[in-house]
Amino acid sequence: MIVTYIIILWIVFWVMTASSLYSAQYHDHQVLGVVLSKAHSQHDEIEKTLVSFTKACRLVLLLSAVCSLLLFVEPVSSHADFIMILLMMANLFVNWLVIDRYQMKLQHIKEQNNWIYPQKNIVTVDLEVARDSGKSAISPVWVWLFLLLDFLPTVILLFHTNMRQIYPIGFSLIGPLCQLSFVYLFYQMRGRHSNTVNAQFARQEERINSIAATLSALAMLVFWLLFSASMMYAQNGLAILAPVIVLLAAVFGIIRWQQSKISGLEEKFADELPEEQENAGDQQILWKWGFYYDPGDPRLFVPKRMAGMGWTINIGRPAGKLICFGITAFLVIIIGITAYGGSKDYQVSVSGPKVTVDAAMYDMTFDKSEVQSVTIRDDLPPDGTRVNGYGGQSKSYGHFSFKGYGSCMLYIYNNVDRYVVVQLKGNDPGYVILNGKTQAETDALYHNISSWSSK
Amino acid sequence: MRLKIDMSGNIPIYQQIRNQIVFGIATGQMRAGDKLPTVRQLADEIGVNPMTVSKAYGMLKDEGVILMDRRHGAQVNRLQPKENALDMDFDHTAMLLISEAYTKGVSQQELERHILLLINKIYGHKEVLP
Repeated sequence: MIVTYIIILWIVFWVMTASSLYSAQYHDHQVLGVVLSKAHSQHDEIEKTLVSFTKACRLVLLLSAVCSLLLFVEPVSSHADFIMILLMMANLFVNWLVIDRYQMKLQHIKEQNNWIYPQKNIVTVDLEVARDSGKSAISPVWVWLFLLLDFLPTVILLFHTNMRQIYPIGFSLIGPLCQLSFVYLFYQMRGRHSNTVNAQFARQEERINSIAATLSALAMLVFWLLFSASMMYAQNGLAILAPVIVLLAAVFGIIRWQQSKISGLEEKFADELPEEQENAGDQQILWKWGFYYDPGDPRLFVPKRMAGMGWTINIGRPAGKLICFGITAFLVIIIGITAYGGSKDYQVSVSGPKVTVDAAMYDMTFDKSEVQSVTIRDDLPPDGTRVNGYGGQSKSYGHFSFKGYGSCMLYIYNNVDRYVVVQLKGNDPGYVILNGKTQAETDALYHNISSWSSK
Repeated sequence: MRLKIDMSGNIPIYQQIRNQIVFGIATGQMRAGDKLPTVRQLADEIGVNPMTVSKAYGMLKDEGVILMDRRHGAQVNRLQPKENALDMDFDHTAMLLISEAYTKGVSQQELERHILLLINKIYGHKEVLP
């Protein structure tokens, strides 16, 4: 489990570092989101600063990787899931700090050298470019086909009912739902071009953008099919990790390909671009706390401050505020659930004819009349799969499924190899498996429940 | 034809779009039958609300400069002489410009020569309308 967490962390750290280093490349008159002309971007001071930035990014990667090894050490390892999320957040924050610091350094060099560019208040638009917008994109048939193929796991589950125990049919709809966002991305990208004055440039850029969006949708499809196959057939933590690695590598590769193609276009058309496209124009200050904020801009999705790093939300728009709030709330809930689930202990209380198990989000009560048998054993039943529950480093609880046992409710401390197994009438759940923080506590729990059920 | 929109200028954006399309047609950059982008396409390119472009197209349509059609979208109309083209509004706008030149001390001969130069820029190489 810890090894899986560390592999996930290293992948995340690597993606963060690669993104930071990528943003230091000159693209669309920018380096690290700071506007510079091509000539100024090759200035000695700028190049030295960027070398130092590269070193800082690598240092952050190294330190993060070293910190991740703390997961092997007690008592950190008993809260590994929560610490993993904290380390991810910390890495994200430190990367942001490094970028912010170096943005200030670049800005300072600009001011020292008096490199002032006029603000771009004049928008030049060629009517031919506007009229042909979206016409050079590749067909949307592909993304719709990928969406249909995403339903393949759902179709398999419809015919193989036994698989639904380990892979609920509702869960299989998450893939198509995520794929819908790629369909939306395609329609956003197919008419997208940074150049509004050169029709040939704009057409080629639209084609590249639409191909990138289609490839991203294909990567999502491959991820979902691999993920579903690993859930249905492999049921192994590392096998489930493989599709995630494939998806991340594919998305990163697609972004690299897209940006290298657009950079190539910029170089190819460098001589043909009119004066207003050649010159760097300073951005208006439209960034608040790292977000784009412009109530006067009707666009909801805008390019990120660092050119070529994708899109962000305009929080100046009411819909942008809503999405931002939704994402923040989602993150807070995920972190909250992980922290609460990892820290709250189970409380098993026997009162009258009922036993109540109090656990975060997965409470349950069973009656004496439902109990068929109470046994104690030193290992868990074989081939266990989490259906809907919490599977952390120190605890596992919620709905699980075991070979030969079927649907079970689990409330266990993972490091205690003794379990009380309560067999219930019916099969939803058929068993309740629980233990205490120590073997002695588990033994006491067994005596308590078995004497209660035999009275 | 290229539109240059000053986003921080005093002239409203819809007015700038309208003026530049009229100017583009008069200088031969756009001809009768040429298609214009849809309202949404042009609004996306400039980065303004579609209502702004719609207002500009609405003005051009009312003036008979463009035709709006559900199937073909917006396109430049054939130039048709209007009986009352040189109406009071025209006189008022032209008089204001001449008055401004006068208050700046421009002589009559200088103004006539300059206006003739501008007229030739528009009418210089064009066929006479029927």
